Amino acid sequence: MELINELLDHINYVGAAVLFVIGLYTVLTHSNLLKKVIGINIMETSVFLFFVSIGYVAGGEAPIIGENSDAIYVNPLPSIIILTGIVVAISLTAYALSLIIRIYDEYGTLDMDEIMEIRSDLPNE
Amino acid sequence: MNSTHFPIIIMSLFLIVGVSTPVIKKRFDNVVKFMLMGTFGVAIILSALTFLYVQAEGPFTYNFGNWSRQLGIEFAIDGFSALLTLLIVSVSAIVVLFSLEDIEHEVDSSKTLSYYTIVFTLIFAMVGITFSNDLFNIYVFMEILSLTSCGIISIKHKKVNFLASFRYLILNTLGSISFMFGIALLYMVTGHLNIVEVNNVIADVWQYYPTNILLAVGFMFTGLGIKAAMFPLHVWLPDAHSSAPTPSSALLSGLVVKVYVFTMAKIIFNVIGVEISQALDITTFLTYFAALSMIMGSIFAIGQKDIKRMLAYSSVAQIGYMFLGIGLATEFGLAAGFFHIFSHAMMKAALFLSAGTIIYKKNQRNITKLDGIGYEMPVTMTVFTIAALGMVGIPGIIGFMSKFYLGVAVLEAGQSGFIIVILLSSFLNAIYYLPIIISAFIKEDKSRIKTLILDKIPVTMLIPLVLLGFSCVLFGFFPNLLMDTIENVVPTFLN
Repeated sequence: MELINELLDHINYVGAAVLFVIGLYTVLTHSNLLKKVIGINIMETSVFLFFVSIGYVAGGEAPIIGENSDAIYVNPLPSIIILTGIVVAISLTAYALSLIIRIYDEYGTLDMDEIMEIRSDLPNE
Repeated sequence: MNSTHFPIIIMSLFLIVGVSTPVIKKRFDNVVKFMLMGTFGVAIILSALTFLYVQAEGPFTYNFGNWSRQLGIEFAIDGFSALLTLLIVSVSAIVVLFSLEDIEHEVDSSKTLSYYTIVFTLIFAMVGITFSNDLFNIYVFMEILSLTSCGIISIKHKKVNFLASFRYLILNTLGSISFMFGIALLYMVTGHLNIVEVNNVIADVWQYYPTNILLAVGFMFTGLGIKAAMFPLHVWLPDAHSSAPTPSSALLSGLVVKVYVFTMAKIIFNVIGVEISQALDITTFLTYFAALSMIMGSIFAIGQKDIKRMLAYSSVAQIGYMFLGIGLATEFGLAAGFFHIFSHAMMKAALFLSAGTIIYKKNQRNITKLDGIGYEMPVTMTVFTIAALGMVGIPGIIGFMSKFYLGVAVLEAGQSGFIIVILLSSFLNAIYYLPIIISAFIKEDKSRIKTLILDKIPVTMLIPLVLLGFSCVLFGFFPNLLMDTIENVVPTFLN
């Protein structure tokens, strides 16, 4: 019972860890290149979730200092950092997708195993 | 002259020239070549001045927009990061000088200008990581570095390059994500991203959260291990480094992986602190992985037929030496590891460039078909021989000195078992480097004319080779020129 309560209290951290593992599993086990990119995106999301939930303060307000100066504020820094993280994630995804288009043009398939078979038939360039 | 702004000027110079070149010029002509080399000339002078300034005035920090270190981004310019910047800028200047002729054979002519944009952004990111004193800022530069280093591989439009680049990208991103997870875990404990602040807080609280810190370091080291190609995580490296255009291989193998090694040193010594790292056994594990890399990288290299692939596997082994130096966690060990960063940058750049010259001239990558090539390309093969003998550890060449310093450091730290690993790794190096040298100079090839002729290669390719070969020998005979400086600057790095 204590364990369950502990888990429920930190459900955001548990969620981030679970998402991280799901993403890692997708990247490592699926042979489809697009699914690998999706797995990378899931992993990135998990880190973003983790980072943002560090800064969250229960019952906190948005960090705008008004009349109510005693209020508890949420830490804004992690959220701002994650904005940068999202931009980086988008550019990586865009680049990975453009590479996938090239690979599909050259090999005619998106499956890593099939690509490796095609490659092993070719002489080493 | 006031030099505190020079690090920023170096970085902006690379960014501005890199981005504006394809905008203002349409063709890759002599003007562009002079512009590129001129940028490097200015950057070398500026980084040398920065280094001299640090030597004279001591390390300093640079705050962007005058925000305090708790709020803003900070650069820490200490003796070693200034020296490493000088190395990065000068070795990449040599490589780019080589690439001016070579690149037209490797890359489509419409892509040449974009190639230099990517290379300059790559150098910008490397200098950024070296100076940065802020964990998240390091992450951002790391992402720029991984995107650009994939870019200089995939710019060569071949099947192999796209696949190598994709694999590199996926593993690099895995590494970046783990690194960011580590940052998040550290931020959870400390509430800061600035390295100095994190270190102050960790010294007080680490006993309360040992698991958290251990987990953070584990994630960060996995990430950096992937990017720096530590043994079990090196799978992307052979494809990426061997299929890339020659100048890219030299940059990637000679400089890019070193920056990650330096980041790892930063995390052990500046972020976590050396006492806590030792208490949590982080450094001991690092030495085990280093020993594994040194042996396994060489064993894989023995079986290779492709010359660039062999050099790529040899990099895995050499990275192990640097990690060993860092993992010893003594001042001299760190100095020896850093010395190997310099010696490997010179030797590996020389090896890749001379291999590239052979490919440029003969279009031959197979190491079993290089019989008698020493008669046709004496200068190229002499440089190759010097650097290869340096890798093996023949006295008089810089590689011997870094092995010697590492051996002394290992004995000083009282872990004499690693001496055997260093010796074994040197023997394995000899197994795969010596046959090439022997077949190039001693074996006969009936079809070749056996008169000595000078290499008929462009002079801009010859100068970089000779420069690198000369510096390997110069620092091999006078290692104190470099080692004294490194030993002086290591304490400023540790502070």
